[in-house]
Amino acid sequence: MILILVIILILLALLGMPIFACIFGAALLGLYSEGVNSGAIPIDIFRLASSPVLMSIPLFTFAGYLLAEGDTSKRLIRFSKSLLGWLPGGLGVVALVSCAFFTAVTGATGITIIALGGLLFPSLIEEQYKENFSLGLITTGGSLGLSFPPSLPVILYGYVSGVNIEKLFMAGLIPGLLMLVLLCFFSIYMGKKWKIKTTSFNTSELVASFRGAIWELPIPFLIIAGIYSGFCTATEAASVIVFYVLIIKSAVYREINIFRDLPSIIIESMKMVGGILIILGAALAFTNYLVDAFVPMTILEFMKGIVHSKTGFLLILNFFLIIVGCMMDIFSAILIIVPLIIPLAEGFGINPLHLGVIFLINLAIGYNTPPVGINLFISSARLKKPVIQLYASTMPFLLICLFALIIITYWPWLSLFLPDILK
Amino acid sequence: MIKQINFINNILGHIEKWLVIISFSLMALFSFLNVIFRALYTKFNIQWANSALISLDWSEPVARLMVLWLTFLGASLLTRENRHIRIDLMGHFLPPALLAVREAIISFACTVICSFMLYASIGYISMEMQYDTSLIMGVSAWKWQLIIPFGFGIIIFRFAINTLKELIKLTGKKAQ
Repeated sequence: MILILVIILILLALLGMPIFACIFGAALLGLYSEGVNSGAIPIDIFRLASSPVLMSIPLFTFAGYLLAEGDTSKRLIRFSKSLLGWLPGGLGVVALVSCAFFTAVTGATGITIIALGGLLFPSLIEEQYKENFSLGLITTGGSLGLSFPPSLPVILYGYVSGVNIEKLFMAGLIPGLLMLVLLCFFSIYMGKKWKIKTTSFNTSELVASFRGAIWELPIPFLIIAGIYSGFCTATEAASVIVFYVLIIKSAVYREINIFRDLPSIIIESMKMVGGILIILGAALAFTNYLVDAFVPMTILEFMKGIVHSKTGFLLILNFFLIIVGCMMDIFSAILIIVPLIIPLAEGFGINPLHLGVIFLINLAIGYNTPPVGINLFISSARLKKPVIQLYASTMPFLLICLFALIIITYWPWLSLFLPDILK
Repeated sequence: MIKQINFINNILGHIEKWLVIISFSLMALFSFLNVIFRALYTKFNIQWANSALISLDWSEPVARLMVLWLTFLGASLLTRENRHIRIDLMGHFLPPALLAVREAIISFACTVICSFMLYASIGYISMEMQYDTSLIMGVSAWKWQLIIPFGFGIIIFRFAINTLKELIKLTGKKAQ
């Protein structure tokens, strides 16, 4: 009976039932099979109100939505153009850097392609970049800054795994930069190959564009400095950043009218937060059941029977996570998969911070992986191109990202040396 | 009938939106004040900031409770637009008629699961009422947690509406 219900639940999940309902269903079934009262589930839901860390999620999401309104994206692109546009393949580099930056400041809430794609794509085409190259570039750019502060996936990962969030932010910096730099080199190489004419460097434009974005550019650096120096926690940084962004957007740039625009921005951003946190509430309950039923231990025993080395385990992990990443959004993946993987990785002697970085980079790549990576569909809708064309156009970028992933996975020092200094 | 249901749905939506705005503003304000006063006291050793912190000691748990409220309010507003996070392997490829079938099945299954959750949370709240101990801002903890059953209740209502709408879509097509 239970088995039939479990199968039905899995089928419903694959059919597209909201993930929060799937996990509540799974938790209900699990407790029922153990003979535990279902009143145990709301105890775990109530844990949503017991952690100061979780407050940073609505706060950063709201700040991100606020920054996505108005002309922040234009100012960012203008500044990176004046800073990097003179390189061969310069506009490609500009696109990648501004996407990564924008993803970081908006907390990786998935609005990068929508906010920047429509601005960057036409100018890339105008500068004679090939259409497929431009499409692939923007699609890949959509998940680039994912491991930079104040990204929500990092905060959620830290909360679920128990890893120190401030350290995890430090660990993600260099691997994220590595991926960004490799992609930039690809753009420079193609720019040279296609002999795309470069613009000359202009100091006064650089100064002017810097002045234009002077209030927004420091945001990620302020957060990094604040938590790196131990001056504030991620949550404290979030509450300060909310007021900072509110002031610059409403009083300095005058793009937001507090009474006219703010209510709808709050509501839109909190819908996103509700969508994530209700899955978290369900996952907290379900994970509790899994641990009680020794499920992670069983998987570990099973895995130890097949794989004998750390290298082999990491390879399987990468492969598995990319599949997960292309089927699931990053938030559900973190909430469901992380509790299962942590004990496995511990069993194979992998540093939890390194595991976090591998996990996040993997899922970021999964976003762009055919056939169902979500970025492919977002780009397809935003840039009005068929999904099939995007499959082909992201391929070279995907290969570069996979190359970066291999380096990140098998060279732990890259992730661990910054947090080690922090100690 | 459909008109009345839509009317109730809209009124609920308005109430929820106002609650979202209030809860979020309270959370942002309280956490900001706590950060500022704590920084003034610990980093600059200003004494009145400490007394402000002490007199505001109830605000931190309230701010954290607002996370729970925002979760359920946001989730139920999301249900209204049928925009919950899901694994969407087929949504981009299915023809509209099959899509309506899929949505009807899914919404119905969600109605069932959330009804069990409503039952579970009512059980939980009644347990909390018996062992009514902790107070937050002078209000019993279980009253703050009422958002859990209320949230599930509204989510059930909306999934039920979605099921109905998809069924009407389907039978409407057949009638033509």
